Amino acid sequence: MPGESTTIDGFRKGYEEEHRLIGRRSACGFVTATWGLVCPRCGKRDLAEVELSGRGRIAAITVQTVPGDEFVNDAPYAYVLVDLAEGGRISGWIAGTAPGEGPAIGDLVQFVPSYRPGVQFRRGDDRDAGR
Amino acid sequence: MREVWVVGAASTRFGRLAETGREAATRVALEALDDAGLDPRTIGQTFVSNCFGFAEHQAHLGPLLNTALGIPETPSATIESACSSSSAGLHEAFVHVAGGFADAALVVGAERLSHLGTLQATSYFAMGADYPFETRNGATFPGLYAALASAHVRRFGTTSEELGAIAVKNHANGARNPSAHFQKEISLETYLASPIIASPLRLYDCCPFSDGAAAVVVAAREAVDRPSAEPLVIRASARAGSIADLQDRPDLTGLPATRLAAEKAFRQAGLSAERVDFLEVHDCFTIAEVLALEDLGFFPKGKAARAAVEGTTARDGRLPVNPSGGLKAKGHPIGATGVAQVVEVFEQFNHRAGRRQVPKTEIALTHNVGATGGSCSVHLFQHR
Repeated sequence: MPGESTTIDGFRKGYEEEHRLIGRRSACGFVTATWGLVCPRCGKRDLAEVELSGRGRIAAITVQTVPGDEFVNDAPYAYVLVDLAEGGRISGWIAGTAPGEGPAIGDLVQFVPSYRPGVQFRRGDDRDAGR
Repeated sequence: MREVWVVGAASTRFGRLAETGREAATRVALEALDDAGLDPRTIGQTFVSNCFGFAEHQAHLGPLLNTALGIPETPSATIESACSSSSAGLHEAFVHVAGGFADAALVVGAERLSHLGTLQATSYFAMGADYPFETRNGATFPGLYAALASAHVRRFGTTSEELGAIAVKNHANGARNPSAHFQKEISLETYLASPIIASPLRLYDCCPFSDGAAAVVVAAREAVDRPSAEPLVIRASARAGSIADLQDRPDLTGLPATRLAAEKAFRQAGLSAERVDFLEVHDCFTIAEVLALEDLGFFPKGKAARAAVEGTTARDGRLPVNPSGGLKAKGHPIGATGVAQVVEVFEQFNHRAGRRQVPKTEIALTHNVGATGGSCSVHLFQHR
């Protein structure tokens, strides 16, 4: 399914409708799951579409108690930046996480198919690490 | 390049405006012109910042402002760079005057959002982020800075008590500022008892949603006969950018645009950080003051969080930071914030800062960040 990452909506359809994560790998090796026409690191235009596993470890995390308007009924929930197993970093959210109880930086997470907005993760376990 | 001065400044009180953003912007613009002792007809170009004018059903504020100031034929432009909008406006004014395209320029910022309520205001604030790739993935604006805080805490062991000391300091300064949104001191206990908004950030780590307006007049040195107030010489006006989305930046413990803008500014001015007497930095959240002081080069990475605990950055400390109360306590009316920092420097340099006056006012720095650092302005000012 080439070319889905050429539009912003292609990324969204990927995770929200087809339940897969699309990313792009630049000539310099930079992997991004953010739309663009030119690599922000090396300035080259050859960005190859790659399918991302959705497995990774938390690079940064916050548990938000005051939600934005698309997540009004979800608070508190975690917003995470995730270092993906294949390189690159993506942002997403983890449902049902209270302050002080959430996962921590370095913990495993796994992308979960969902019909909710955005990229949703669940806490990972040893199976996710081994795969 | 011509030497550019700030020759007049004015601001509303920040908090809740009874008047519209348009009225407040026009009023402070005229007050700044009066402060400078200049007739509005000396203005060659007006730069106005009003990020959320649509919250008041209004775009294209410049011509309305100029018409209300009696200079309908003067060109104007709206400058938007999220929370760094009006410092970007100041940069444009600097470029115009330094380059000889105008002898004097007006920089105005105004915002009125308090009538929207917390939920809608939270959504508006988040518009500075990347909607499909950050906001739709769950980020709120405090959440993005909280994510940066989590990385800083992890790498450097930054504590709640250290972040709390910044909130306590900036509230203490705000309590001495009759223009501040919050004119109330808080204790560390009050800070620690406040609810989590986006862990590790608590309510008192966050700036408020403020209304407000501020304006400065800049002019070429040779265009000013007798300044009515002590002018600020703009020694540097620098802007920088960085990868917009946090997830695509290699390092999450600082803002690269701050580092770049600071390097440019110090190079432009031929000055070093050691020469700076006081700063107004972008503390939309307490962690942002830590990042600013480290990325601007005033403290090594991981060391700035101690500064407020040790009193270094207090109003009477070695390096006063945010004597106005900062965004944290003075308030953060998005489009007005950047130029309001310059109003504070003007007040300090003219010894008009009353109970928040800092002792040394030879050189000052202002630092204003757009959203999570996709854009940043650094200005350096020196006494004439």
